[in-house]
Amino acid sequence: MVLSQPEPQGSHDPLSDPEVILSMSHITKRFPGVLALNNVSFDVHVGEVHCLVGENGAGKSTLMNIMSGVYTGFDGQILLNKHPVTFHHTRDAQHAGIAMIHQELNLVPELTVYENIFLGREHKIGRTVLNRRSMRRAAEKLMSDLGLDIDTNRHISRLRVGQRQLVEIAKALSLNARIIIMDEPTSALSDTEVQYLFGVIRNLRARGVAVIYISHRLDEIFAIADRVTVLRDGQVVGSTLAQHMTRRQLIHLMVGRDLEVLYPKEQVELGATLLKIEHLHLRQGTSHLLKGVSLHVDKGEIVGVAGLMGAGRTQLLETVFGVYPSRAVSGKISFDGRDARFRSPKAAIRRGIGLVAEDRKKQSLILERPVDENATLAALRQFMVLLTLVNQRAERRAVERIVRVLNIKTPSIKTLVGNLSGGNQQKVVVAKFLLANIKLFLLDEPTRGIDIGAKAEVYTLVGQLARQGTAFLLVSSELPELLAVCDRVYVLCDGRVTGEFKRDEFDQTVIMEAATRFADKLGNSKHQISVEQDTN
Amino acid sequence: MGTATDTPIQSVPAQQIKTIGRRALIFVFRFQSFFGLIIVFLLAVYFSPIRSDKNIFLSQRNLSNVARDVSETGILATGQLLVILIGGIDLSVGSVVALTATTSALLLMRTQTVTLPLIGGIELSHLSAEQTIILVLGLGLLIGWCNGWTSERFRIPAFVTTLAMLSIARGIAHIWSDNIAVPISYKAGGADPSFEILHDRIYNNIIPVPALIMAGGAVIMMFVLRYTAFGRYIYAIGGNQTASRLSGLAVTRIKIAAFMLCGFFAALAGIVHSAQLNQGSPNEAVGYELNAIAAVVIGGASLNGGKGTIIGAIAGAFILGILNNMLSLNNVESNTQLVVKGLLVVGAVALQQFRPPEVE
Repeated sequence: MVLSQPEPQGSHDPLSDPEVILSMSHITKRFPGVLALNNVSFDVHVGEVHCLVGENGAGKSTLMNIMSGVYTGFDGQILLNKHPVTFHHTRDAQHAGIAMIHQELNLVPELTVYENIFLGREHKIGRTVLNRRSMRRAAEKLMSDLGLDIDTNRHISRLRVGQRQLVEIAKALSLNARIIIMDEPTSALSDTEVQYLFGVIRNLRARGVAVIYISHRLDEIFAIADRVTVLRDGQVVGSTLAQHMTRRQLIHLMVGRDLEVLYPKEQVELGATLLKIEHLHLRQGTSHLLKGVSLHVDKGEIVGVAGLMGAGRTQLLETVFGVYPSRAVSGKISFDGRDARFRSPKAAIRRGIGLVAEDRKKQSLILERPVDENATLAALRQFMVLLTLVNQRAERRAVERIVRVLNIKTPSIKTLVGNLSGGNQQKVVVAKFLLANIKLFLLDEPTRGIDIGAKAEVYTLVGQLARQGTAFLLVSSELPELLAVCDRVYVLCDGRVTGEFKRDEFDQTVIMEAATRFADKLGNSKHQISVEQDTN
Repeated sequence: MGTATDTPIQSVPAQQIKTIGRRALIFVFRFQSFFGLIIVFLLAVYFSPIRSDKNIFLSQRNLSNVARDVSETGILATGQLLVILIGGIDLSVGSVVALTATTSALLLMRTQTVTLPLIGGIELSHLSAEQTIILVLGLGLLIGWCNGWTSERFRIPAFVTTLAMLSIARGIAHIWSDNIAVPISYKAGGADPSFEILHDRIYNNIIPVPALIMAGGAVIMMFVLRYTAFGRYIYAIGGNQTASRLSGLAVTRIKIAAFMLCGFFAALAGIVHSAQLNQGSPNEAVGYELNAIAAVVIGGASLNGGKGTIIGAIAGAFILGILNNMLSLNNVESNTQLVVKGLLVVGAVALQQFRPPEVE
């Protein structure tokens, strides 16, 4: 472990010796098939912003879930104010002053802001009657303390994601939280909202609240962190004051290797145009999700789609895959020279398009069925004899071969997919479409939540398949990954293509600029509107 | 950094005992319906009244009766399992039994004039057993299709559509029969005598024909679930519908097919029911849907879909049947039997809470 001694002097802190409020030592947590945390020690000081960084699957969320009492079974010890504590429940952690704000927010959309803040601990007149006025007043006080401008009488469903996050923070404070954990709070926020959130975090810090901030975004980390701890593959690889760390060091700690080594790019001879999309529109209800997208993918080409959350990247892939009813879609799609406005995923697969969906567990796998049944689900037709009877021997042979080819680590092909590690699960999804003879892969965040080694393997596989003429349309939020593996990148913003870059034009800053071309303007104007409404 | 304290290392034997205990638990849950069946069987033997040194429960006649009584629940449970596997539920099967039993009796005994569009009136008089059975099974498929199509087309939970069908099928049974039971007699001018086979017992008068039908249906469906793509898809859809759709399965069609098969088995049970009672009555088979669901659930199926076996469902039907038989032999009144059945269902579902995740 590369541990540098915590420096006694923090520029922000009036106290000369920041006190350790919480200390986790030698935490080890194992899930079926994966060692999520390996002997991790982690300290939190009073009134600091402690950034926890690491690649997906490094163990950040697991560590925080242990701290906030979500996971109760683990080895190791937690000391709170120097006393050992055991949390049996998130409630125990809350009582101890630890609040976690999850990526998927825990608010009831149908209730108002103040009702959510006091959910489960309502103010009452006597024993039964709600004292709404007292709750509203308390909620408003919380808001003004935090410098927030949110109408406490609004329903959560009418707030934007950024505002919901702020409500969660207010709620945590009303629970007298001394430690607030924020798990990637900015993933759905615009730049302005991020700045606003940072203001709130600095306010919290000034009041002595420790904030543990989980993020991938290096700029944010250097903007807000007092201390940085880096996790890699379930281990702490570094922990130091932010001012003592450079960007380069941080990347090196996070990744452990250089990206070029991780994702070697092979030169592939491109073939004819495989997928061509012209003026594609997608409307759902009143929202216009894709606004005239045009792009093309050639045989053997890996084309990236960059953009922020909500830019329409997932919808683009799903539209090509035939997920949406045809009345919602307009525009031209052709595949392999023929019309390809698919009416169902079934039709898309039959023509040779496969979608590796964003959420592996919810959209791609049947966790409680074995590896072999998952692997052949899209291709069972090939193994049918006599109408619908499955030739199980041929099936087994095919699955065993693909498990070997993709190097899927599984005890047997009869193991339940839910018991494999994230990377191997993702490979099963790839196997499913490989068996179905796919010519074009639509990959939606294919490396989310899998460890770095598995990521490299997935991209190596992508490279190999591309050499054989398979084409890829790849969506990823991790720009370095996209730039490392793609031949070309389109940038989507608010349902439009706002940029197209060839490999020799790749530049992270320019691409980010294209990705936020509309978002910032829109975000600003929306923000303005909502603030005006709030003050009414 | 951090205060280092040694974590207590768990002693090795204690951990070994833990894993052995866990393995045993997994084993018990894997075959839970068999263990349940054995326990209920032993209880029945133990509590059975003994007359002239003979265990009444174990007498050939009684076991044969148990098999006969179980067969309708078993047939219904086979169909019900398919719907529960895809994450649905079919509450209409009891009413469908009443409707199909009534229809069977009507077709066998009376002269009907059915007016069809374009074709005109068709006179159906004293249909043969084969014709009756084919028509009634077709009716079952049609009802199942209605359940499935309505649920899928309008995205209504199966709970609601089949609850509606529960009422509709019962109502039609009353309308078609003018509110009175239709007797089946095999005298001259009556029903086709070959229908009476369904009432018989074969092999020295031991094995009831309905039990054979149940066994045949169960074996066929076991085969279908285990060896065909359709069976694979049923489990896949129950396990994760979104993933199934994105893997190119025709989810809607497969779900409707599951409902149709459930209707088919309900009609089969209705035919057996009418043959057993020698009548088709619109007031029969009330609450049979609960027996079927109970059998499936006791057999270890998950109401969330994707988990469950035919063997389990049949074992569940036998557990219910043997329990009923045991209580009857001990002269426990039927109302108490209902209470016991309810407790058993809750117990079986509550038990699933302790099911280790490793169990398939």
